[in-house]
Amino acid sequence: MATSPLLTVNAVEKAFGGIRAVDRCSLDVAPKSITGLIGPNGAGKSTLFNIIAGLYRPDGGEIWFNGTQIDGLPPYDIVGLGLTKTWQIPHELRNLTVLENVVLAAKGNSGEHLLNLFFRPRAVKQDEKQWRLRAREILKLTQLDNLANEHARTLSGGQKKLLELSRALMSDPTLVLLDEPVAGVNPALTGSLMDLIERLRREGRTFFLIEHDMNVVMNRCDRVIVMHQGRKLAEGPPATVKTDPTVIESYLGG
Amino acid sequence: MTAAAPKKGPAVEPGGFPLNEFIVFSLIGGIVVIGIISAVIAGATPKGILTNLGFYVSVAIIFSVLALGFNLQWGYTGLFNAGIAGFYLIGAYVAAIAITSPAPPIVVGDVVVYPGHLGGFSLPLVVGVLLAMVAAGGAAAVVALPALRLRADYLAIATLALAVTLQIVTRNAQNITGGAIGITSVPPPILFQGTDASFLNAITMVGIGGFVLFALLVILQFMSESPWGRVLRDVREDEEATMALGKNTFSYKLQAFALGGALMGLAGALYAVTLGYLSPESSFAPAVTFSVWVMVIVGGSGNNRGAFVGAFLIYGMEWLSVQVRDQAASGLAANYLLMSVLFIALGVGALLAVLAVQFVGRRVLDRRRAWLLIAAILGAFGAAPAALGALPIGWCFALFVLLFGFAFVVDRAKKSRRARAGIYAAATLYGVGWAFILLQQLAPNAVADSFFYIRLMIIGALLILLIIFRPEGILREKKRVLR
Repeated sequence: MATSPLLTVNAVEKAFGGIRAVDRCSLDVAPKSITGLIGPNGAGKSTLFNIIAGLYRPDGGEIWFNGTQIDGLPPYDIVGLGLTKTWQIPHELRNLTVLENVVLAAKGNSGEHLLNLFFRPRAVKQDEKQWRLRAREILKLTQLDNLANEHARTLSGGQKKLLELSRALMSDPTLVLLDEPVAGVNPALTGSLMDLIERLRREGRTFFLIEHDMNVVMNRCDRVIVMHQGRKLAEGPPATVKTDPTVIESYLGG
Repeated sequence: MTAAAPKKGPAVEPGGFPLNEFIVFSLIGGIVVIGIISAVIAGATPKGILTNLGFYVSVAIIFSVLALGFNLQWGYTGLFNAGIAGFYLIGAYVAAIAITSPAPPIVVGDVVVYPGHLGGFSLPLVVGVLLAMVAAGGAAAVVALPALRLRADYLAIATLALAVTLQIVTRNAQNITGGAIGITSVPPPILFQGTDASFLNAITMVGIGGFVLFALLVILQFMSESPWGRVLRDVREDEEATMALGKNTFSYKLQAFALGGALMGLAGALYAVTLGYLSPESSFAPAVTFSVWVMVIVGGSGNNRGAFVGAFLIYGMEWLSVQVRDQAASGLAANYLLMSVLFIALGVGALLAVLAVQFVGRRVLDRRRAWLLIAAILGAFGAAPAALGALPIGWCFALFVLLFGFAFVVDRAKKSRRARAGIYAAATLYGVGWAFILLQQLAPNAVADSFFYIRLMIIGALLILLIIFRPEGILREKKRVLR
């Protein structure tokens, strides 16, 4: 490979009690790619995402992102470096509006510091105004703009997925980990959502996504990584992976 | 295009009439009016009545400040504090020690009459208040520092332990706190002389307290509407998600908890100067913590206005129960008739006002709400004299039938949750009234006393009804529409 990988996972381990959810897993994600992560249920995909995002502390191994070692860093520092994740089960903030949910994800909003509220009120106002405009732009992209002032709890399952993506984009990330971004989203919207992701990729962002929708994985990903029992089983372009006998046996089925 | 998600439940008040605010402020107004009337009947002078009312308002303000502190911690940030009384105690003692003059031990022969207390630094009030806030806020931060990293229950346990320990320590660390006697002669903000001293002092305290409360409401509202306040609410909703969105949730929790503790310290300082003396017993018992919980839950958590309204309402019930009991104690049974006439006049007046607004002026309420309001007014003003055993039993029965008639109409007309809640609340109120009448027949002088003793039961029943029918409190948290 010519370019060095954006994300490197090196021999990462994580056990819950006696179960080794992630077992010395190593993989790379190339910059400006859309990389898919597939595997049977319980293969450790979501656990790996949580470890990368800093929500779980790995038992061993290293994770490098953009030249920085990030394993052991708290999640907010990892977001600060430009790595954001979305949740498989949407973690919308139920009693806040959609717009509030998205504005919250902005990085470095000066009004979030208590002292700035009192000593730099003008900057706070200015900042907040800009972030709200930005949030509205993002909501237009994800087609949630007409729901901006509804409580997040009133959204449907698919809309909550879109809200997850909107929040991820708000932090202006270099790498986005998407945990089943289109599960529960209708086919037409799935298409436009993936178009959006491809467009954002052309703008220079990288996407690493878990997905069970094989249409999305096979047609939209540049590379696919297959996980099985906490380890990387196979890797390569979708066409190669699709015909790999071990993958067919463990995941795709004959 | 994506269609708007269907809205469920009561969204916005139709017609824009702030019914809940109306009810809650009439209840507080009713408490004040009943308090005044009972004082008039007891033969109090106007100044005496105002002094008494001033005491109600200034203590309610102190509870409001406590409730605002708890609301910042729990209502906004979701941090449960089970030791409100502890931070309150710290504020009160720090302020008292800072602003009183030196109090050496008093020894008569071999007997220590008063052990004295630490310091007596005679500092200005403002300095004392600031020290109280710093001390209580600092204590909150120290307790929270280890506990916030653990599961939520540990914070509750740690704060509860702190409060209980502090109460025992203040009782026993005699040389510092004055022991069980406590700290006496905390100077009032302005020292008045003469017969009007207590009246003038009460008015001063209401003025100072009112100013503090108003300033706090403005500042807290500004803070909770700010991006900072938004992060607090996010932590409450889902801490893990907030962390994954790049916020240092630990730091926000610490800030909210320490600031809330500082507000409780401020309340303690206000308490010290309002009462003029401190002792560790009842004022800082765990019951204070529970009262503040009830105030915030009843008023509506996550809403500064709710915290303050809840404090005036719940402490108002407490105050009123004392008022009513004291009249019975001073043997004013003969005046019950006069009282009941006043109550009926008030009830009829309120009813006429509603009817006038409803039928003569523009219809501000839909029909169901109008009936509910009328039923509530009848219930409230019918139950109160009934509780005092003033009305003849037939009168009460007539009101009872009338109320249930309304209730029946409402229940048939609209089977909404709120309508039924109103009916059950009114019926419960009347049931309590009936119990009082029966009790009054059996033991004439026990009635006023029993109101005092079962006030906690009434508050408890209110809480249960509230939790069933309006879990978000009387004044719900408002949806923030960003432009």
